[in-house]
Amino acid sequence: MNCKELAYMLADYCNGLMDPRLREELDVHLAKCEPCMAFTKTFQATCEKTRKLREEIEYAIPPDVCERLETFVRSAALKYPEKVEEYRDQVERDRREKVAGLVRAATSGNLSSAMALLAESHCAACPECREYFDALRNTGTPGAGEPPEGVRSHLIALMQALPPGEEFFLA
Amino acid sequence: MSTERWKDDEALLESLRKGAPGAVDELLRLYQGKIFNLAMSILKNESDAEEAAQDVFMTVIRKADTFQGNSAFYSWIYRICVNTCLMRLRGKRRNETVSIEEFMPVFTDEGMHTSPMDDWSKEVERDALNEELGRMIRKYTEELSEKYRVVFVLSDVEGLSNEETARILGLTVPAIKSRLHRARLYLREQLSRYLREGKAG
Ligand SMILES: [Zn+2]
Repeated sequence: MNCKELAYMLADYCNGLMDPRLREELDVHLAKCEPCMAFTKTFQATCEKTRKLREEIEYAIPPDVCERLETFVRSAALKYPEKVEEYRDQVERDRREKVAGLVRAATSGNLSSAMALLAESHCAACPECREYFDALRNTGTPGAGEPPEGVRSHLIALMQALPPGEEFFLA
Repeated sequence: MSTERWKDDEALLESLRKGAPGAVDELLRLYQGKIFNLAMSILKNESDAEEAAQDVFMTVIRKADTFQGNSAFYSWIYRICVNTCLMRLRGKRRNETVSIEEFMPVFTDEGMHTSPMDDWSKEVERDALNEELGRMIRKYTEELSEKYRVVFVLSDVEGLSNEETARILGLTVPAIKSRLHRARLYLREQLSRYLREGKAG
């Protein structure tokens, strides 16, 4: 084991989840390497300090914020039943737009790497979607109209699986 | 996650869907503290966190119908909160974030440390330093880019497990571990530099 390997194994070492054999190897290195010893101790101290900090800071919700929030959410929820249809339409419109955007991006090879990865692993297990994506790439033009319902629901699930902050297209 | 919480969540979701009286109150009772806390951890500003919390609850109420139940309710609501907060951050011009690469440890081609290391672990055990260190840790965390900060906040601030964080963010557990480790390496290095400068000054 060298210092670099050690540095990247410290998380498991510190939380005691390390395989005992590996741990022994690591201890042998630590005993003869001063920089690693200092690195490990200061790494542990950093984790310890953040843990303590976490125990201390709990942002209590201030009473006035709490009151405003409750009033707002309750009154909005009261109006909700009248608006249900409106909201559903909105959700459906948003979805249709997103699916169309995804199809466009896939056709022009502009999927973000996160989306491409998700799509690839999904297609490996789903023949229907694989066929659909293959057809998109081969023809170079989006198929007329919307994807078949089965594919469409998978595409929606894929977009929902995208990590927060990630787009499905290349910027 | 306790089964208790699971059951509570299931029942809550069901009553939200039906529009049962009291469902919204129950939702607020169970989650408003948690959501406000999480929004504060990400946004660091009370009025932003308040508005974000409003958005989160409205989204939850509107979408309760379409929630597919393939993940736990709490991870769904946390995820909505993270998304809402990130959208707000993006809408603002934020302070420049630091490049985490500049704070990763440096090694020779053989994988050895390039220079001697300061061991300041004993030094920071002094209680007198606690407040100052807390302030610095918060400052350095805020300077992290979103990608790392969100993982760091969920794991080290909210105290969620890697599995829970992975579920909320839709990332794999190894990806969470790696981001978290890099965030900690970064913090260690920032603290080293800070303490070294303190000594020099
Ligand atoms: Zn070493």
